[in-house]
Amino acid sequence: MQYKAKIIILSLLLILIFLFFYKVLLTEKTYHPRSMIGKSVPEFSIENFKDANRKITNQDLSAKETIILNFWASWCVPCRVEHPMLLELKKKNKLFLIGINFKDSASNAKKFLNELGDPFDSIGSDPKGEVAIHFGVYGIPETYVIKKNKIVFRHIGPLNQDVVNKIVSLK
Amino acid sequence: MIGTFGHISLISALILNIYLLLSYSLSSLKKNINFRKTKHLNFLISLFIFLAFIFLLWSFAISDFSNTAVYQNSHSQKPLFYKISGSWGNHEGSMVLFILILSFFSSFFSFSRINENLKYLTIFFQNILILFFLVFLIFTSNPFDIISPTPKEGLGLNPILQDPLLSIHPPFLYVGYVGFSIIFSFALAGLYLQEFSMLWSKQASFWIIIAWTFLTIGIGLGSIWAYYELGWGGFWFWDPVENASLVPWLASTALLHSNIASMKTEKFLSWTALLAIVTFTTSLLGTFLVRSGILNSVHAFANDPDRGLYILAAIMIITFFAFLIFILKFPKDRAPNILVFWSRGSFILINNCFMIFFLVVVMVGTLYPIFLDAIFDKSISVGPNYYNALLAPFVIVLLWFMAHGPLLDWYKFNKLSLIKIIFKISFLTLLSTLIVIFYFKDISLLFVLGVFFSLYLIISVLFDVFKQKVISKNLARIVSHFGFGILIFSIFVNSFLSKEIDVPIKVGQTIKRDTIEIQFKNIVKSQEQNFEEIIGNFLVKDGTKSFELSPSLRKYFQPSQVTSETSIKNTILGDYYLAINLSEFDGDKIMIRFYHKPLMMWIWTSIILIILGGFIRIFKKQDAI
Repeated sequence: MQYKAKIIILSLLLILIFLFFYKVLLTEKTYHPRSMIGKSVPEFSIENFKDANRKITNQDLSAKETIILNFWASWCVPCRVEHPMLLELKKKNKLFLIGINFKDSASNAKKFLNELGDPFDSIGSDPKGEVAIHFGVYGIPETYVIKKNKIVFRHIGPLNQDVVNKIVSLK
Repeated sequence: MIGTFGHISLISALILNIYLLLSYSLSSLKKNINFRKTKHLNFLISLFIFLAFIFLLWSFAISDFSNTAVYQNSHSQKPLFYKISGSWGNHEGSMVLFILILSFFSSFFSFSRINENLKYLTIFFQNILILFFLVFLIFTSNPFDIISPTPKEGLGLNPILQDPLLSIHPPFLYVGYVGFSIIFSFALAGLYLQEFSMLWSKQASFWIIIAWTFLTIGIGLGSIWAYYELGWGGFWFWDPVENASLVPWLASTALLHSNIASMKTEKFLSWTALLAIVTFTTSLLGTFLVRSGILNSVHAFANDPDRGLYILAAIMIITFFAFLIFILKFPKDRAPNILVFWSRGSFILINNCFMIFFLVVVMVGTLYPIFLDAIFDKSISVGPNYYNALLAPFVIVLLWFMAHGPLLDWYKFNKLSLIKIIFKISFLTLLSTLIVIFYFKDISLLFVLGVFFSLYLIISVLFDVFKQKVISKNLARIVSHFGFGILIFSIFVNSFLSKEIDVPIKVGQTIKRDTIEIQFKNIVKSQEQNFEEIIGNFLVKDGTKSFELSPSLRKYFQPSQVTSETSIKNTILGDYYLAINLSEFDGDKIMIRFYHKPLMMWIWTSIILIILGGFIRIFKKQDAI
């Protein structure tokens, strides 16, 4: 009987501890990428994927009122997942999209776009990931909304419908 | 290709592990265990895990970016040393290291000279632990996952993490953390076979001291790194990740002492068994808290709740069965349960109570904010004030008990000789405390008490030395207790008498505070391959001493990151520590942080002494295994 009581207490205690940590594990921990918000776009100049005669620079990011800058690569699985969202931003919402092709080979990137569609107005090639570093990219995909040469919004990870709505509302 | 070999090695280890567990269980039912077979299987498991680890190191060394772990955590431009240390600097790799150490302990244990039933049941329990973690590794955190097509370059090149101390401290911590697994398995085997006796304690002491010493080294190295690299001017920040390693250290320190008492008297056996279980459980909890990303919100982005859930469930199952065995089989104290208060045994018990109290304080301080955040969505932070207020007064009392314990007899109490000794130690301590107070010119109550009792411990250790006929017999205790006395003395002096100056300063300007004078001589800019550096040259005077300090700011290009490089002048009596703040420049004016940190070298030396005490014990006990 004494053993039973001890075992019941032990079990209850462990179940409580388990439930507590389980709740902690499920608590959403979003990392707030505040650091770049409100800052001007860093300077850069990179090869243009679509037009070899013209480079893509930070000047291009003030060409339109609102510009979406997306870091992606053909080998990145979440980029594949978010691709339809980018196509939606382009076709449905008529936004201006610039893609930065991150640590990728040109042939793989072209295959990727031929297969899934091309939402980008222009694409810069960032084979060593240098531009990504200037933007403080954590990992791809990452998406920035730029207005008047200033970063107003940033999303880490693949886009989803909520984020797309948020981006459209910033237009 | 290398990754495939690694993966095959892991799967082979898992299959052999399951085979060992099944064949052992079946043969023990028939009461016909083949010890030789178990031993060989156990070695083979270690060998395959070792091979997997080598394949992983190899992938990192040659920058094989087709491996996800290498791609995410390495870069072709990294120096080879950091490529290799990067292999355990990430979740997957560190789990391989964790399992490797689990299996190595299992293999080494098979050499110990103890009764075969007890030995192989320990190895059986150890292999159950290996099974849990192998399944976790292979099915949720495979270190040999492949990316296709292969990226041309890796993602990991963080300059802050490229530090020799930071790279080598995880293996030491792990030998400590995981080392307690073998004591845990040995305790469960001892309890299960009803062989948890004074002999068990003698046989366990070698393993306890190994794990304890390595855990102490790991914590010490982490602390030195924080002091020299982080630029916050301290050596312990009560950071949750630091606390996660302190909790098992406190539990194991209690275990270490309780086990010494268990070698002398049966009264401590059940307490020792309980501590053996608690120490490993807290090690697992620490691993879970750090690895699940619960404690470290910056890393939470890479966090996968499924992994956390698996490891949490595994810990709960392991803990449940361990306590179940303890409840059903724990040794009844055979001797009458009376302890003479003035005896070494009861003082060890008091020391244990203090350790458990400290453990609870640190655990509550670490978990309470998580609890509030998860249940009530409130965020608070528990800072040094909480720990100082709750720990400092009790540490002082602990020092008094620590000072007397070794001077007492195990069983009998000689009142007259004790009173004489207390009188002598108190007199000498009072004199030395007066000298210290006169030198440092501080008379606040807690400071005086802290200095008095730490000196009391140091002087009592010296008495202990004179009392011994053969010093080598208790050398380990003498060295580590002496080190602990110096550690607490230095911490009190350091925390009460540190000076901090936080001011903006212009080139050519001189700032004076008390005895310290800081002159900002000039600023130099330099361009290196991967960073641009702004170095400030300062002349610092303290009384008659004068020296130059040159802290700097480094702006790294890849990844874009600014770091503050501190400049430290070490002297025997204290460190002079200067850092430039990361805030923006305002013309030629910059913000500087200057610290005078008394007795820093003493803190490091005392930690080395405590570790040395551990090693003396390890080598002394080697003949006993």
